Amino acid sequence: MILRSPPPKRLKSDAGGSPISANASGSGNQLVIYEDSPLPAPAPLQTSNDQSDQHLCTYQCRQMVKADVLDAFSKAEKQVQEYQTQLQTLNANFSEADAERKQLRDNLLYSKQELAAAKGREKMLQEQLLTEINNSQERYTKELQSCHELEVKLQNEMNLRKKAESSAATAEEKAKLLEDKLTQLSGSVDREKKRLNNDIAQLGKEAKLSVSRIGADLERMQCRAQNAETESNLLRSQLEHLKLKFDECLQEKTEVDKKLSSFTSQTASSSDNSVLIKHLQEEVKSYEAEVREARKLKSRHVDAELLKVKLLEENSRRERAESELSKMHELQLSMEMLNNELSSWKSLLNDIPGVSCPDDIVMKVSTLQNEVVQSSMKIEEANTRFKQLEVALEATQLGRQSAETEAALAKEKSEALKTDVKRIEVMLSLVTEEKEQLKAVVNELRKSTSEGSVPGAGATDGTLIQEFESSLAKKENYLKDLENDLSQLKDVNNRLRSEIELLNEKLVDEARRNKSLERDSDRLRSEISLLESKLGHGDYSAANTRVLRMVNTLGVENEAKQTIEALQAELQKAKERLQAVEELKNQSGDAGKLVDSHITGKIAQLKEQIATLEKREERYKTVFADRISVFRRACCELFGYKIVMDEHQRPNGIPVTRFTLQSIYAQNDDEKLEFEYESGNTSILNNGYASQGEIAKQIEIFIRKFNSIPAFTANLTMESFNRRTLY
Amino acid sequence: MASKTAAAKDIITLHGSAAIVSEFFCYAANSILYNRAVYPEESFVKVKKYGLPMLLIEDESVKSFMSNLTSQISEWLEAGKLQRVVLVIMSKATGEVLERWNFRIETDTEVVDKGVPREKSDKEIMREIQAIMRQVASSVTYLPCLDETCVFDVLAYTDTDVAVPFTWVDSDPKLIANPQMVKLHGFDTKIHKVDTLVSYKNDEWDEEE
Repeated sequence: MILRSPPPKRLKSDAGGSPISANASGSGNQLVIYEDSPLPAPAPLQTSNDQSDQHLCTYQCRQMVKADVLDAFSKAEKQVQEYQTQLQTLNANFSEADAERKQLRDNLLYSKQELAAAKGREKMLQEQLLTEINNSQERYTKELQSCHELEVKLQNEMNLRKKAESSAATAEEKAKLLEDKLTQLSGSVDREKKRLNNDIAQLGKEAKLSVSRIGADLERMQCRAQNAETESNLLRSQLEHLKLKFDECLQEKTEVDKKLSSFTSQTASSSDNSVLIKHLQEEVKSYEAEVREARKLKSRHVDAELLKVKLLEENSRRERAESELSKMHELQLSMEMLNNELSSWKSLLNDIPGVSCPDDIVMKVSTLQNEVVQSSMKIEEANTRFKQLEVALEATQLGRQSAETEAALAKEKSEALKTDVKRIEVMLSLVTEEKEQLKAVVNELRKSTSEGSVPGAGATDGTLIQEFESSLAKKENYLKDLENDLSQLKDVNNRLRSEIELLNEKLVDEARRNKSLERDSDRLRSEISLLESKLGHGDYSAANTRVLRMVNTLGVENEAKQTIEALQAELQKAKERLQAVEELKNQSGDAGKLVDSHITGKIAQLKEQIATLEKREERYKTVFADRISVFRRACCELFGYKIVMDEHQRPNGIPVTRFTLQSIYAQNDDEKLEFEYESGNTSILNNGYASQGEIAKQIEIFIRKFNSIPAFTANLTMESFNRRTLY
Repeated sequence: MASKTAAAKDIITLHGSAAIVSEFFCYAANSILYNRAVYPEESFVKVKKYGLPMLLIEDESVKSFMSNLTSQISEWLEAGKLQRVVLVIMSKATGEVLERWNFRIETDTEVVDKGVPREKSDKEIMREIQAIMRQVASSVTYLPCLDETCVFDVLAYTDTDVAVPFTWVDSDPKLIANPQMVKLHGFDTKIHKVDTLVSYKNDEWDEEE
């Protein structure tokens, strides 16, 4: 509004001051534009209107006022231009800011996408981690269980090892004790040997004495025999002489008899004849006496020959006795050795615990050997297990290293995420800085629009500013959301980091356990292979297992028979020796007693063996008899035939087995079938029953045609059964 | 004998399983004696068993030995006391053990104690036994030749509390020093599980190599 009257001119200082003041006021109020329509004037304008009312100006004043107004207008125009340039700059800035906003928006979207991708990746990672955690948890639980089991096994093995070591130590102690005892026994054996040698020397001396006595007796007998021989020779010569004489006497007797007969035929009898007869009778008597003497000599000769025979027998007996004496020495020695060994072993048996008879020693030694072997094997196994545990430790370390590498990879991933997060944070900071800058610009614009008065531009500027403010508000919201997301991501990252660390630890433990499990599996495989090799080798535990073998009854029977025969032969020999020794004993005195005792002892042992073998043979026979009877009865009941087996010999000497079958349904005893079995071939024999019409037909059909004896017998059984039951 | 046809599988009792195992051992022993020429070929007769032509010895003494053996084995199997059966081939002259045919037996104690039956197809058992018999026959290719006259014996590894008949005596295990071992197939009746293994003395030629 144009001031109607210029303000009063004041002194230069005042005038200068007033326009200055006016200008100042005007400048302070900026350009006051004349308008017909009333405008809401600010309060200072009202005061200026008041002043204008006061100030009535002349033309000069108007001109002055015009000049002032023009100046003010030019100034205002300049200001407007400045403001326009500022607007343009602001618009340029706004466009730049808009472009930047768009860029930021694009960046925001890009960052959002990246965030979403990162979120997706994190989710995937989380899922993977969760699955890995679940798997590792499962493995962890399994490995915990296996660890517990392995710990228990380790403890058991340690205990076993200790037990094995203790048992080995006890076995060693026992072995040492046994060795000591053995040395003691060997000393005692040596002492007894010396004593026995002394006894043997004494016995030898006694035997020598007895032998010398026997020799003396033999020499006596020899002398007697020689004397008897000489006597017999003499007697023989006498006998021959007497024989000759006897023959002569017989001849003379026959002549005399002839003569006597001739004399008796003649009647003449004279004293000479009677004298002759007497003489002849006397000669006959003498001859008879000589004959008697000759007979006596003959009998003596026979006695002498008998004595010779006896002498020879006695010589032979002497030789036998000498040989048997030498053998008896040896037998004595062997018997003594055996007795000593027996006594020593008996004493050993008494000393060894858990042994009651010699057979137990073998078992005991075998059990001890097995125990020692088992303990050594257990020790070796324990050593292998320790080595395997060491290997497992190394393997767990390798697993830990692999887990560490995996953890490093996870860390790298997390660091990459961190860098992404940082990058986003940096972008956000940049965006916030720009936002602040834009805010400051907006505030400046607001201020400028509030002081100046360009309504049209101001309106557009206001809308633009409002839009800009709205966009800024949106950006701020976006930024807040991003910040929230960032904070969440940071939290998630921290959680993930902690989980990763936990997982790393778990991975390390699990790797260790995996390796220990692998070691255990290798150990178990080796144990399995060891056990399989042991099984294949035939090893067994005497505590749980017993090895039996079946006695080959046929072989045992033959062996038993052979042993019985051998023992019987030995018994006969021993009996002969005993008889010889008894005869020697009768001849010699005391030497035979010792021989008897040893021989009787041996004979007693042999008799005992024979008795046991005979008992065994009888037992076998009874068992076989029972079995055979049971088998026969069963065959009879099952197949319906009583079978009798006989051994026959053909005329050509070949032995064959003959079977006689009688059906249980037979109506008389004549209904018998005879079969012959030779080297796997069975043939039917013709007899009265087999040659009957129907039977012969059946034989022809079943046996000759179809070559089936069982079919024939079955058919016969059925027919006889039917006959018995139905008819 | 050993099984009754049930709805789906064959039911196997303890008695039946023992009979199957003892019968298997009899045929396996005969097959080993034939393949290892312990007895001459003419002593054997061919029969059909397990779907294969099997050889059985005709010698009466060996037959009676085998029958007594299988009956005792069956008894011990039913009692659950038998752990192993070993067929040993020895040199007749020196008595040295040349081969050990090891039949290890695992018994289901629940069946022995409670008498519960099990189910398994007879055909499958027969197939398993058939495989073992084929392996026994083919063992000739890698087992060393038995050039000398040999005899055989049978050992039974039993529990210590088993009732021993008078025809059986305690024995040493007749082991081979440093043997070679070959594991063969096994079969399982669900009551008795039998594993076969042969261990033999190293051939002199192999030792030299």
